[in-house]
Order: sequence, then C-alpha cells, then structure tokens
Amino acid sequence: MSDARVSTPLLEVEDLRVSFNTREGLVQAVDGLSISVGRKEVVGIVGESGSGKSVAMYSLLGLVRDANVSISGHVRYEGREILGLPDDEMRSIRGRDVAMIFQDPMTALTPVYTVGWQIVEQIRAHEDVTKAQAHARAVELLGEVGIPDPARRVHLYPHEFSGGMRQRVVIAMALSCHPKLLIADEPTTALDVTTQAQILELLRRLQATYDSSIVLITHDMGVISEMADRVVVMYAGRPVEVGGRRDVIRTPRHPYTWGLLGAVPRVESKRTRLVTIPGVAVSPLDLPPGCAFAPRCAYRFEMCDQRPALRGDDGHLDACWLDPTRKVEIRRRVTETGVVS
Amino acid sequence: MSETVLLRATDVVKNFTLRSKQSGSRIIVQAVAGVSLEVRRGETLGIVGESGCGKSTLARCLVQLMPVTSGHVEFNGVEITGLSRRQLRPHRRQMQLVFQDPYSSLNPRRRVGDIVAEPLRINKYGDDEVVQTRVDELLRIVGLDPASVNRYPHEFSGGQRQRIGIARALALNPSLVVADEPVSALDVSVQAQVLNLMADLQSELSLTYLFIAHDLGVVRHVSDRVGVMYLGEIVELGDAETLYERPLHPYTEALLSVVPELDDGTHPVRERIVLTGDVPNPSDKPSGCPFHPRCPVAQDRCTTEKPVLVELAPGRSVACHFPRNVA
Repeated sequence: MSDARVSTPLLEVEDLRVSFNTREGLVQAVDGLSISVGRKEVVGIVGESGSGKSVAMYSLLGLVRDANVSISGHVRYEGREILGLPDDEMRSIRGRDVAMIFQDPMTALTPVYTVGWQIVEQIRAHEDVTKAQAHARAVELLGEVGIPDPARRVHLYPHEFSGGMRQRVVIAMALSCHPKLLIADEPTTALDVTTQAQILELLRRLQATYDSSIVLITHDMGVISEMADRVVVMYAGRPVEVGGRRDVIRTPRHPYTWGLLGAVPRVESKRTRLVTIPGVAVSPLDLPPGCAFAPRCAYRFEMCDQRPALRGDDGHLDACWLDPTRKVEIRRRVTETGVVS
Repeated sequence: MSETVLLRATDVVKNFTLRSKQSGSRIIVQAVAGVSLEVRRGETLGIVGESGCGKSTLARCLVQLMPVTSGHVEFNGVEITGLSRRQLRPHRRQMQLVFQDPYSSLNPRRRVGDIVAEPLRINKYGDDEVVQTRVDELLRIVGLDPASVNRYPHEFSGGQRQRIGIARALALNPSLVVADEPVSALDVSVQAQVLNLMADLQSELSLTYLFIAHDLGVVRHVSDRVGVMYLGEIVELGDAETLYERPLHPYTEALLSVVPELDDGTHPVRERIVLTGDVPNPSDKPSGCPFHPRCPVAQDRCTTEKPVLVELAPGRSVACHFPRNVA
C-alpha cells in the first residue's frame, strides 16, 4: 500500500445535506454533516431519534430513493466521488467495499430462502465463483461469526434462528466480501444485553482480523464508549460535537452532549436525579435559523440566534457559541450537582 | 401479614399450554416458575431480566390481569387470587399499571381527557364537574397542560404519551403502581424526564412501585430492592446498592459486567464476562440449575440439583450452590 493511499481517509463526507420535500414543507433531515473515516477506524455517530444519523448514512450509499429527496455535498470513497453515481456503479461498491448491518436483522433477510442461499447469492453477485465454492464460504463465514454447527444451520430459514443468531447471520452476510467499511445501524438495539455483548465482541474481533473500518450508528453512549475511536454527536441533522472518544466522553463541550451523558442511568452509581434536557427535539420542519439546540439550552444568549460553526482544537470540535473557559466551568458544576442550569 | 408489606406473592406459577408444531402434542411452558416476593409500602421493587424471562407475565399475575396457575398473592393482607372480577374491583383501584408502549396503550380515537377520566367514570368518582377537576389536576401533576384535554394521543410525543398513561394510572389514587418497561420506548433525554417525574410522584403521593425493566442502569436508578429473573425464576433478590456492588449469582455478575458503560474516568472498568449461547427455551428447561449450561462457574452438582432461593445475608437471597463475592 502506498503512502498516498494510507493518508487519504477511506471515507470522506463533506457538507452532506439531505432534505425531503413533504406536504408539510421542507424537512431538512441532514444539515451539513462532514466526517472522515480513516482506515481501521471505528467512528460512532450518536444522537436521538430524528437526529438524522441513519438518513445520512443511507443517503451517502444511495439507499434513499424517495422521489422528493434532494441530496447535496461530497462523499468520497478512497478519494473517489461516489455521491450521485449511477445505480450499477453504486451497486458494485455496496456489498463489496461497503456493507451494512441494520437494527432489525429480520428486515435484512428474506424469510422465504435459507440463510445459506442468501449468503451464496451475495457472494456470487460480487465475485466470480461457483455455487459450491460460495456455499463452502457461507459455511465458513457462519462458523466465523460464532454460529454452532454451521454446516447444518446453513440450510435453515431465518425464523429458525434467535434474534442474536440472526444478527450473526446478517454480519456473516455483510462480511462475505471482506468489505473495507462496515456501516452498522443500531446493530444491538433490538438485542438483550448478554447478546449485545456477544455481538459487540464479534464486531471488535472481526474489525481486528480484517482491518476494516466501522461506522457505528447508535443512541447508546455506553456502546460508543466501548467501541468508537472517534465520536460524532448529532442533533437535528447537524453535528454538534466531534472528537476522540475520550475527549467527548470525559470532557464534553456541547451542552447537548452534557445532557445526553447525564441522562443515562448508570449501573455503577445511584444518582438521586438524572440530568434532563427540557422540552422535546426540534421539528426538522421548523429548524431555527441559529443554533438548533438553543430552544432547549439553558445557556443560550444573543449569539445563539446565529448558527455556530464547528470549531475547536486537536480534532475536538463543537458547535457552540459559549466561551471555552466558561464551558469548562459550567461542565464542572453540571457534574457536581447533576443539574443543567 | 405485617403492616409494611403491601403485596406478597407466595410460590406463584404461571403455565401456558402450547401445541407442538411437529407432533401436535401439548407442551407446557412455565413462564413463571414459583416466584415468592414481597413488595413493601413506599418502596420501589425492581424486577430485571432479559426478554422471555417471565418478568412481564409475573407482573400481570401479581395484579390479577392473568389468573395464576398456582400460588397465592396477598394484597393489603387480602388473598386476591381466585377472586371474581367484581370482588377484585375494589382492590384493582389500589393497583394500577403503566405500560411499555405509549403508542398502543392509549386509544387513538379518544381524547386525552376521556382517557384519563375513564377509570374515574367506571369507579363512579363523582359527577362530571368533579371528574373534570380531577382530570385537570392529574394532567398538571404529570406536567401536561390541562388545556390539552381535547387533543388526541397522536398529537403528543412519546414522552408526553407516557405522561398521559401515568396520569390515567394515578387517577384513582392507587397505592401500588406496576410499571412494565415504562421508559424503554423513549429516547434517553425523554427517558430521564419520565424517570424523574416518577420519582417525584412517588414521594409526593407516597406510591409503591413495582418496576419491571430490562435496562440494568434504569433499574438501579429507581429501585430500593431488585429481583433478578432468569427463566421464570427469581435467582437473586436484594437491596439495589449491594446487589449491584457485590452480585451473588453468577448470572447477575455476568449481566452487570456486560452493560456498556461510559468510560468517563469516574469508575474502574469492569472485567467483562461474556456468556455463551442463548437463553434456553422455557418449554425445555435444563435440569438442575436453569442457568448451569451458560454458567462460567458451574460444577457437577449444578446439573442435577436445583438450587432454591435462600437468604444468605440479611435481605440478600440467591438461588445458587456456589454464590459469588461471599466474604
């Protein structure tokens, strides 16, 4: 691998905007998202429902086919612009170079074929191998993702697997062509905590084996803390904080991140009161011209009527007008008292 | 029964009968397999377990939403199993439910005011004006605008709908509120609002909560005491603080070790114990200890001899032959 290839990030997203023209008006689902995913890197995208984290990933892979959608910006995969590529070219990237895992494994599998058939089809769509070779690979893959007795189970239908096992099948399918980039959309949200642990461990192991990069979409700060190298916190379609995992979790800078971190009830310590963010998420139909979080923010001031840009140092950026030293002060008070005010 | 115990369950069993797909023969699934517990006045008892462990079925059996197969439930010192619907009614008023899904537990064709007023009307709380005043008051205490009585559930967000569900549960001044996964459908910031609301209401109205959830963090946050369920049984029961600090059952220990935690430097990182395999099918339970096939410390005895729930230390019970973290 040449030096030039190492230095270009695997995936670069620049100022991605996705909007839907609906009867009620223009819905700005993603509003200026820029991220880069390096090789072997795990990037976590965290946000609550409606923050645009899934739509962003779906649209950059050309999976949003709504007639009323408009997508702009740049998406470069290995330095090549892929946004707006024709369908057939996109299809050769999806599945082979970039694979996806969805929240509900049942929607990613067709119930009427055996899992083996589905994995074989996936392999043969991208590689010139015989059915027998592809079948042998399918068995091997199922074994690799920890499905016991893969030679027999390859002939079973999706409904004959438990939720955790089904998610393993989907992961096996996603890995069938050794993708360089895996996009996992809430891969463990539908699973129990012991199963979640198994799946996260599997992802970690596979990432190390194949040197793949992962974009992990989740609402769970705990999962982010265990998996991600870098974190993007999204609110109302905009990135509000970006940085290394440790920076974002230990020294978060955006008031929304403070609320998000403080609202999680912890296994480790009983707190008398959870930090809450007042109000509900802003409607994407009606984004304020300034900071999207301002209506719910306890620290807003005049500046917040204008939209803050992402700024910061050492790769730790946040979109907030508050003075950095003031933020450190407030943050300390929030941690001590558990109250955002 | 002592004054402090509001609800006592003794050896509650709930079986469901299914027909086998292959042979057509009847199979019995024991969803709740002999649970005994007490809920004390003013406390929150949390029941935690993975999907299919029988925690929701247990809750429904305790409030007689489902008849028990065997066992006894005493509420306020009165045996309530086997009572007719009419006989149950005065007790029902005292125990109310909050459900998981705020979308399907509210009738979409009825106005919020009617939804909250329904228990009042059924129980002949008073004339329309009295009911109206009470509805206004209820909406106010759960943090909703009383002016919204004429709106429909779809006009509210998930968190607001859960508040409507809570207002309805509180309408008749119950002493026990059974909440079955009340926050699991909500986003984390909204979840925090609802949990804080429930805590406020508990102290203002001296409520007793039976709180069912799969989220270990949430259960720790709300509970005074916690019961851990596995395959229809309570495998560990104790006060929340010590149960989370020093779990006795290997299942509790493993469960706690795999919760993804924020590494914010405030706590040492736990060693992960990742269990292998899936929870066995409840219609085909393992012999001996139900947890033994997945247990990292199982021994021969566990495969044959079933451990019973015994009190190991004051207020701490465990069903395990080889409990962990014992001094």
